Amino acid sequence: MSLALSCLRRRLSKSPNTIIARSSIRHNHDSSASSNTSLPAHAEWRSIFNPAKASVRDRVSLANPHTARLVAESFLTGDSITAGSGKVVIEAFPGPGALSRALLELDSSRIRKLIILEDNEQYLEITLQPLEALDPRVKIIPMTGYAWEAYTYLEDEGFLDEVETVPWENGVHPQLHFITHIPHTIIGEQIVAQLFRNIPERTWLFKYGRVPMSFVLGQWIWDRVAAPPGTSNARCKVSVVAEATARTEYSLPPHNLLPYDDHFHPRTRGAQVNRPESRRLGHPLVAANVVPYERQIISPGHLDQWDYCLRRLFVRKSTPLKNAITTLGPGAESLLKTLTDQSLPPEQRVDIATQIRKLNVSDWALIIRAFDYWPFAPDVRLLCLLD
Amino acid sequence: MEEGENNVRPNANTFANMLLLWLRVEKQETGPIAEMTLVPKPLSLLRRIVDYDIPVTLVVSDKAFVKSEDAAEVIKALSRAAVDANLPNLSKVIMELGTAEALGCQLEEEPDVPEAMPVTKTKPKVKHAVDGSVSDVEVTDAPEGVTEIPFNLFTLRKHLSEVILARRVLSGDNLARQKLLEASVYDVAVERLKHQVQTLEGLGLGNKGLEHADLRAWMWNWHQKLQVRLKWEVADLVSQEEKHDDRTKERLAPFLSLIKPENLSLITILELMHLHGSGGISEGMKTARALLSVGRAVEIEYKAQMCKMNNISIPSKGTHNDLSFFSNLGYRDLHARRVAARKFMEDSEEWTSEWSQTIRVRVGSFLVDALMDVATVTRTAVDRRTGEKVSEEQPAFYHAYEYIRGHKLGIIKLNPVVSDRMAKESLREALHPRHLPMLVQPKRWISYNDGGYLYNKAPVMRYKDSQEQLTYLKEASNLGNLELFYAALDVLGSTPWKINREIFDVVLQVWNSGERLGKIPPTVLEDPEPEKPENYDSDPKARAVYIARQKAHLEAKANNHSNRCSTNYKIEIARTFLHDTFYLPHTVDFRGRAYPLPPHLNQVGDDLSRGLMKFADGKPLTERGLRWLKIHLANLYGYDKGTFDERVHFVEEHLGDIYDSAENPLEGRGWWKNADDPWQCLSCCMELRAALESPDPAMFISSLPVHQDGTCNGLQHYAALGGDDRGAQQVNLGVTDRPSDVYTHVATMVEEQMRRDIETGTNEKWAHLLSGKITRKVVKQTVMTTVYGVTYIGAREQIEKRLMEQGELVVEDAWQAAAYLAKKVLACIGDLFTGAKGIQLWLNTSARLITKSIPPDRIVAASSGTAKEKAKTLRKEQMTSVIWTTPLGLPIVQPYRAIKRKQVQTALQSVFISDPNSPASVNSVKQASAFPPNFIHSLDATHMMMTALECQSRGIMFASVHDSYWTHACDIDEMSTIIRDTFIALHSSDILGKLDAEFRLRYKGYKVPLSSLSKDLQSKIMAYASSARPDQRQLEVSSINSADEMEDSDEDVYGMDPDMVTKFVNLVDILPPLPEKGHFDVNTIKKSLYFFS
Repeated sequence: MSLALSCLRRRLSKSPNTIIARSSIRHNHDSSASSNTSLPAHAEWRSIFNPAKASVRDRVSLANPHTARLVAESFLTGDSITAGSGKVVIEAFPGPGALSRALLELDSSRIRKLIILEDNEQYLEITLQPLEALDPRVKIIPMTGYAWEAYTYLEDEGFLDEVETVPWENGVHPQLHFITHIPHTIIGEQIVAQLFRNIPERTWLFKYGRVPMSFVLGQWIWDRVAAPPGTSNARCKVSVVAEATARTEYSLPPHNLLPYDDHFHPRTRGAQVNRPESRRLGHPLVAANVVPYERQIISPGHLDQWDYCLRRLFVRKSTPLKNAITTLGPGAESLLKTLTDQSLPPEQRVDIATQIRKLNVSDWALIIRAFDYWPFAPDVRLLCLLD
Repeated sequence: MEEGENNVRPNANTFANMLLLWLRVEKQETGPIAEMTLVPKPLSLLRRIVDYDIPVTLVVSDKAFVKSEDAAEVIKALSRAAVDANLPNLSKVIMELGTAEALGCQLEEEPDVPEAMPVTKTKPKVKHAVDGSVSDVEVTDAPEGVTEIPFNLFTLRKHLSEVILARRVLSGDNLARQKLLEASVYDVAVERLKHQVQTLEGLGLGNKGLEHADLRAWMWNWHQKLQVRLKWEVADLVSQEEKHDDRTKERLAPFLSLIKPENLSLITILELMHLHGSGGISEGMKTARALLSVGRAVEIEYKAQMCKMNNISIPSKGTHNDLSFFSNLGYRDLHARRVAARKFMEDSEEWTSEWSQTIRVRVGSFLVDALMDVATVTRTAVDRRTGEKVSEEQPAFYHAYEYIRGHKLGIIKLNPVVSDRMAKESLREALHPRHLPMLVQPKRWISYNDGGYLYNKAPVMRYKDSQEQLTYLKEASNLGNLELFYAALDVLGSTPWKINREIFDVVLQVWNSGERLGKIPPTVLEDPEPEKPENYDSDPKARAVYIARQKAHLEAKANNHSNRCSTNYKIEIARTFLHDTFYLPHTVDFRGRAYPLPPHLNQVGDDLSRGLMKFADGKPLTERGLRWLKIHLANLYGYDKGTFDERVHFVEEHLGDIYDSAENPLEGRGWWKNADDPWQCLSCCMELRAALESPDPAMFISSLPVHQDGTCNGLQHYAALGGDDRGAQQVNLGVTDRPSDVYTHVATMVEEQMRRDIETGTNEKWAHLLSGKITRKVVKQTVMTTVYGVTYIGAREQIEKRLMEQGELVVEDAWQAAAYLAKKVLACIGDLFTGAKGIQLWLNTSARLITKSIPPDRIVAASSGTAKEKAKTLRKEQMTSVIWTTPLGLPIVQPYRAIKRKQVQTALQSVFISDPNSPASVNSVKQASAFPPNFIHSLDATHMMMTALECQSRGIMFASVHDSYWTHACDIDEMSTIIRDTFIALHSSDILGKLDAEFRLRYKGYKVPLSSLSKDLQSKIMAYASSARPDQRQLEVSSINSADEMEDSDEDVYGMDPDMVTKFVNLVDILPPLPEKGHFDVNTIKKSLYFFS
């Protein structure tokens, strides 16, 4: 399942091992570092955090402290679906730390501990480590939130010892909360897909229970995650998996984060013709909350089947199911019989004239069930890998 | 009487007597010719026999024949007549005659009959080796326990194998056999499939239904359904197209009506089976490619039939050897002969015009669509809910889309059961004769599209749809510039080969055992599936590692499958040609490098293919030959760095191992298995042993090809071009007593660098991991390909492959380790080949400038409109590709252009095909980066061809794999001299000077817009202009049409001065001067021992 991730990880030249080695040095950090917890003014950021660097440019971060406070509140307070108190928050991709500061400035009962994952040395030295020095609730781990190793490391080093495992049916996890900016790149898109895919398998942080997540991410990615059946071209594999696994909603009305330049770093300047629009600077961002459902439609061990069927069928997303189904394997037409079996109650049947992108989650569940029962189904575990 | 005048119907006896009469007359060779004409010839008799519908078997077995020799001769005469006359049911007649012949000559069977039919002899072994399950019975021709010899005889008589059977009938006449082979492919294939199915039914195996059927039964079943379907679909299409005359679309029906539905059906089935696994698609193929191939196969079949119908004569073998090709007289003679032959052909050329790509795709789509609709297989599996066994009829081929490197790609896949069988069962049916070697010397090349196979047309160059290349090629051919080139290809095609029987037997034994050996892949991959870690579900990291391993495992499995299939083809072909001398027609790629046309079994292929082949003729070994045979053996084993004496010594030390290998290849110690090229090594062991065991080794008749390989041939050409002393030493152009080895040198350098890394602690992990593991093999390919412009990406992949082969790395480390190492290797090579760099730079810069230029007559067209528009048109007008002529007169046009594709809607999907006729701008980057390697390849191809011609004129056998030249052991000394002489001749001809002059002539008047030169290039040119040849370097900048150019200058569109848009310079003025030549004298190589070795 994290194949794409492991492929992409190769591109990152830094080996996680070396980072861990360095982290031990960082723990006894330099006390002579600036003890100033307030960030430089937004206008100065461009000169301090050079957006020519890929690590800055590809990771748009909240910069306006006022906005950051609004976002932090929308994640943890009021009638937010992810609200709570006494939380252990893991924050990934904090950037210079405007959101981290806003989180710490909330009523102190809200957050018991803030674990920050960041591997950009500039952010670490200039803005994050001073924070750690001042607030005992802060723990900085100089690793990227993108590597799975970071989370195993947290566990192995005991940072999550106080977190209880809460049975899935006992409600949203009361303590643990994952907050992140999503990078403005294809990697960001993959991280989002991966996070949702961990839910039904109860892997990653979800082994502790229904851990809520909060994102600051590009509008385009969000549209794909939240696209309802058929209404737009954004409906895709991620939308179906998200729909099946979690409740998702804006934490703030999107206009609060517009216009882009008032709220984020780096600000737009000049044309960036070589990037798709959705990954350019200036593409609007939104804030959103995510809570895993208690009842998971994707049963454990079946993710590969879902993956395979979704992937294959979405290649032909504008084609009616009855025509597209052959793409699942030779003889897959025979699944149509199962899906339209008149002896079944109507809610267990699928209208096979529906276009792929218009199918809803229950349709999908029926398709995957039929596929799973099909004796000639290709070995999806293998096929997913080879694709 | 046989004319039926007397109302008496002639019978078999009538004809038998007529034939006997003819035979008598024929034998009295002294008789007057007039007498002969009175007696009907076998041809006219055969016509009547067929007309009267009398079985030929009855005629030849008639009691009129008393002596069996007479009958045998009559059979031969009739067969020859049948082939010559193009009888409508040719193959049937031949089959019958063959059956009769086999029956008639029972006692004259070759002593090794059982071996002639190894299918029956060996297939039961397959059963032993696999799991003994009954499911494998259908693979065999004979169930176990049936006495073998009688059964084999039976099959031999009945077996409708074109080659084997036709050999028996037409044994004296290979030309007729080759004609039969090419002309009636599909008829024969149909007969054989039918026969196969009937045989199986006869054995009680056929009625199990498709579920247990074997591949051939399936194919037969599909063919039955498809031909019926096609019959009415084509008829329907004809009437549809007549009713709705749509002028916008070319009619399809005329193309589909050219060939019988039976043949259309079989063409489609065979092509799809054959494309299985092509284009990097496991268990399938790209749709576009499949449709095109089927369309093209129909076209080829149509033309072959026309060829046959018009009975185009095959120019007979000339007496080539009398004159040297290099004399004027000889050359004129060649040209005259070719012109005569071509004139003869021209009348019948009308139908040979090419079909358009669109037509091919539409024809292909029509057929493939129909096939996919009717072809089914039955699959069985267990329903895991009910535990019941269920069967389902599924399509044999299905259509799907896959994302390949981010591109959505339509593919046609084979049902897994079908694809599975492909790796196990006999595939002979899927082979078209244009995939097979020839039984006679290939037809001489007489024009760009005429030569090689008798009826199957193939162009002499694979020019990838480049219309431009085709035009140049035709022109050069018409001017008579390609005589030497054609003659050289004829030399390569005329080399007679045979199958190395001893190796074949061993290979067959290994293949049937299903185990891995040499390059023979095992039936089941021996590496176990990686184990699923316990924390797979909870730990994403462990999961990632597992998945990486699983993925590598699956890739290995898929590769193994496709290896299995391709080895299967090789063995199948070798089996078919066991008793024949065969020939490999050659064509060239667009740089002039020669390749054999038959793709599966040829000398360019892998170690196994080479091991299976031998020269058909032998020559006495001689003392020197014996020495070379030993050196050759050492080279094959991998001991190729020592001096010749050391290599001979190496072999003499291992004589025990060599004898053991030769005598007990599989049961013995298996020394040969550790060789670099195990199968060739084994073949050589056997040859050496046989020679040493013979009473007089010097007189031993040896037919094993012995190789002479250039050491880093690309660099050799660079060093000679540049007169580069240091480079020449590195690649053995200089005189040394030891061969120098660049690869070891680089490997040592890399190790040294890594030691430094360990000391300084940079990249410690990888340096530690790889230290001590860098052999010369790891770096060899990368070093070799640097001269051909390998990129970092390519180098990393090569190195990863080598490292994995050594098996000392885990999958998840491989990528990064290889990345680290690739950087190191490239850095080490960097300052090693400085001499080559200068020439590469010159070639590259020249190419870049040429591709930026515009011919004079297009300049005006490109200079109207606003500055922005002009800049845009200018880009489109940059259509000049790099063109040069090899010393043998072959024009070469680099084909790299912006790809323009045309969409064709088909029933399956819309297919994008390239449209060769629409002009497109050149791909400047590709043109420039590919030019140096292409140019060097055109040189090594020239060197090879010169050597081939010279060998031929001195009566030496010659074969080649690019820069590896082969001949008989006894002729190595002479060939070595030839190789050196031709190399010196080639490089004494001021190659670069001529290239420069050619450019200046060809591109005279071409203009380069200043705007399209990068700053970097501009400054380079200025530097050249100011330094070299100041007299000629008056850089003249002309401005065209400058009246209305300034109105749109507010924006710098492409980051350039708008003023530049209309400024041009002459291309020839800015071509860089040639790099200075060094002092190395190419004549030195005469004394170099290891130049080619």
